Amino acid sequence: MKFFKRNLPLVLVFIVGMVTLASYYVPHRASQEVYLDTMNKWVNIIAAFAFLLGLLSLFYSHYHKIKKKADGWGYSLFVYIGFLAMIIPAIVSEGQQLDGPNLTSLGWAFRFIYNTLAATMFSVLAFYIVSTAFRSFRIKSMQAFVLFLAAMVLIMGRVPLGDLLWSKILGWTGMSLADLVEWIMHVPAVAARRGIMIGIAIGAAVISLKIIFGIERQYMGKD
Amino acid sequence: MSETWIIIGGWFAAGLTIFMFSFLYKDNPFFKIAEHLYLGAGMGWLFQVSLYDVWIPQVWDPIMQGKLLVIVPALLGLSLVAQFFPKISWVSRYGFTFVMGYGAGLAIPAVLSTDFMSQVAGTIEPIFKIGGTFNTVSAWTSAFNAFFIFFGLICVLFYFFFSVEHKGMVKKASTVGIYFLMLYFGAVFGNTVMGRFSLLYGRFDDLYFYSSSKYFYASQIIALALVIYFIIEHFTSKKRKIQQEAK
Amino acid sequence: MFKEYISKFLKLDRRWIFLLLTIVIFVPIIKPLGLPNISIGSNTKRVYDFIEALPEGGFALLSLDYDPSTRPELHPQAIAVIRHCFRKNIRVAIMTFLPGATGLIDEIVEKIPKEYNKKDGIDYVVLPYQPNYVAVMTQLGSDIYGIFRTDTKGRSTKDLPVMKGIKSYKDMSFAMCITGTALLDAWVAYAGDKYKVPMLGGVTAVSQPGYGPYLQKGQLKGLIGGMKGAADYETLLKKLDRGTKGIDSLNLAHFLVLILIITSNIIILITKYL
Repeated sequence: MKFFKRNLPLVLVFIVGMVTLASYYVPHRASQEVYLDTMNKWVNIIAAFAFLLGLLSLFYSHYHKIKKKADGWGYSLFVYIGFLAMIIPAIVSEGQQLDGPNLTSLGWAFRFIYNTLAATMFSVLAFYIVSTAFRSFRIKSMQAFVLFLAAMVLIMGRVPLGDLLWSKILGWTGMSLADLVEWIMHVPAVAARRGIMIGIAIGAAVISLKIIFGIERQYMGKD
Repeated sequence: MSETWIIIGGWFAAGLTIFMFSFLYKDNPFFKIAEHLYLGAGMGWLFQVSLYDVWIPQVWDPIMQGKLLVIVPALLGLSLVAQFFPKISWVSRYGFTFVMGYGAGLAIPAVLSTDFMSQVAGTIEPIFKIGGTFNTVSAWTSAFNAFFIFFGLICVLFYFFFSVEHKGMVKKASTVGIYFLMLYFGAVFGNTVMGRFSLLYGRFDDLYFYSSSKYFYASQIIALALVIYFIIEHFTSKKRKIQQEAK
Repeated sequence: MFKEYISKFLKLDRRWIFLLLTIVIFVPIIKPLGLPNISIGSNTKRVYDFIEALPEGGFALLSLDYDPSTRPELHPQAIAVIRHCFRKNIRVAIMTFLPGATGLIDEIVEKIPKEYNKKDGIDYVVLPYQPNYVAVMTQLGSDIYGIFRTDTKGRSTKDLPVMKGIKSYKDMSFAMCITGTALLDAWVAYAGDKYKVPMLGGVTAVSQPGYGPYLQKGQLKGLIGGMKGAADYETLLKKLDRGTKGIDSLNLAHFLVLILIITSNIIILITKYL
């Protein structure tokens, strides 16, 4: 049983990993059109089931809350209501959001419910970034000052009012705010970002090798 | 959808937006309802898209047409769900091995080429291109920028290089590296401000849209109702507190 | 006394700041400032110039990988680019790796093609959502129909006039990913660099500074960043829309942040050194 539980999956990940890696360098038809084509289709289908894990875990935890009548269990009902608010219209409209020029019930559910909720959830962050900027952005060192300067140039350079003020006050320098923004983004930011990129690339390649050789096994869970 | 439904939709959109924002004042049942609806609606949306865009056309239809090979990846995909049942959770490893092995195999050459080799080349190439006559300002600035990026990258790499102790020249280089990183993070922060505000603008713009007479002033009425709720809630909770203290 | 008074400001209930932000964003929505967008970002211009230089009848693959959470920044970008393609008579295929994008894509095809009298299946096509981006990007290098057998309406993609002569990346004029995720990185690595298809990008303001290296090396031919990028593109296109309107409303809010940071630091300096 240990063979099926542990060894065979490790052998499979090694074979799939090595063959896929080799396919990158082998332009032969068998490698591209047979192996990769099949794998692409298969992996795409497998991935379509992955979210079921999230779905089941969400349903399970809220079902538990309702069953135990835990604090605030009534809210958990709204998880199911939200789910049905998308699924029922989807079935009625067969997954189509538009029927010719008309909005179907699914299109309606997207536009007025899901779209609203998702967009508002993330827009709330704007309030926190402002209050954090006020409470925690402390220019205590030279490094923090440099960070502030770059941020200030970018914040001003992103809106027409910044351009206008800069040209009124600092126009005599001959350098526009847009030039300065472009320079920061194209020169020092490129150097810094490249350093980070190279680091991440080496890290990603090492982790991938560890997965292929079965050293990294977290995805397998516990025995 | 008829015009009436669009107006009802406007009330829903305005209401849910204001419920979400009400958390900024303080936690309340309306926010909690909207938050839980979001969790469910997000999953519902994901489910219906997967159903109509992947499962039916890529699994169900081929099986119906007799292309049975597609059962293999479907079973491997379903095996992922075994994670939920401790006794058979190992079955899910078969689904994961395919995805992980395939992903790792493709990632190695791709990231090494795109994010490593190309970036090294991108730093060195401009230096070799420097040449000719330096009789324009732009020729001088591009030469300066090429060296500046090269110098900055080396310093940043020193900062991330932990295999040697940071002292002497290494320390100096890594300190300069920090300044480059600060310029980058400053730029990111500056841009983040714009990004976050854009999202907020989007919601406010919608609220403004639904505040028109066409939508029967949905935004104003719902906002006002919520303010009244908070005022009543403020006084009743105060009263409750006094009663509790009296006891 | 004075010190105590001003240091109180630092402990200000944050809800006052929230209210201030609400006012500075809401007021310009009701009464726009109307400042012109003068400075056009060079990377946005590169996207515009690239599409402008394409011959008629070309083919654009647009991967619209954003959902409602980043809609105000990216939706105007996508609309502007699609308008540009339609104006240049370039065929457009729209795809996505984000389930939340499907509704937004429908909003686009409901309105924009009509403006240019473009027909579904002839001038443009909407392809269904796919879950695994690496698999799809790799597949598109050899045979697009291996993954996209049908469009969202269930029609066989191979038989659609819009797909005539298109089999893989090498038949396309360019691919463009508009996203609030890291999917553009994947597009550069798995499609642009590997299959040599010209890549363009559209990203949120937050991630825009991270793409400098790809732009400098030419791995990306151009990049639209955030709402400012969308406004720039609309200006270039001479078709002002939501991006331009949005950027106008953000003028005051940007200055509010700067004023708050400077004020809080001045207060700290005063309480420390005076």
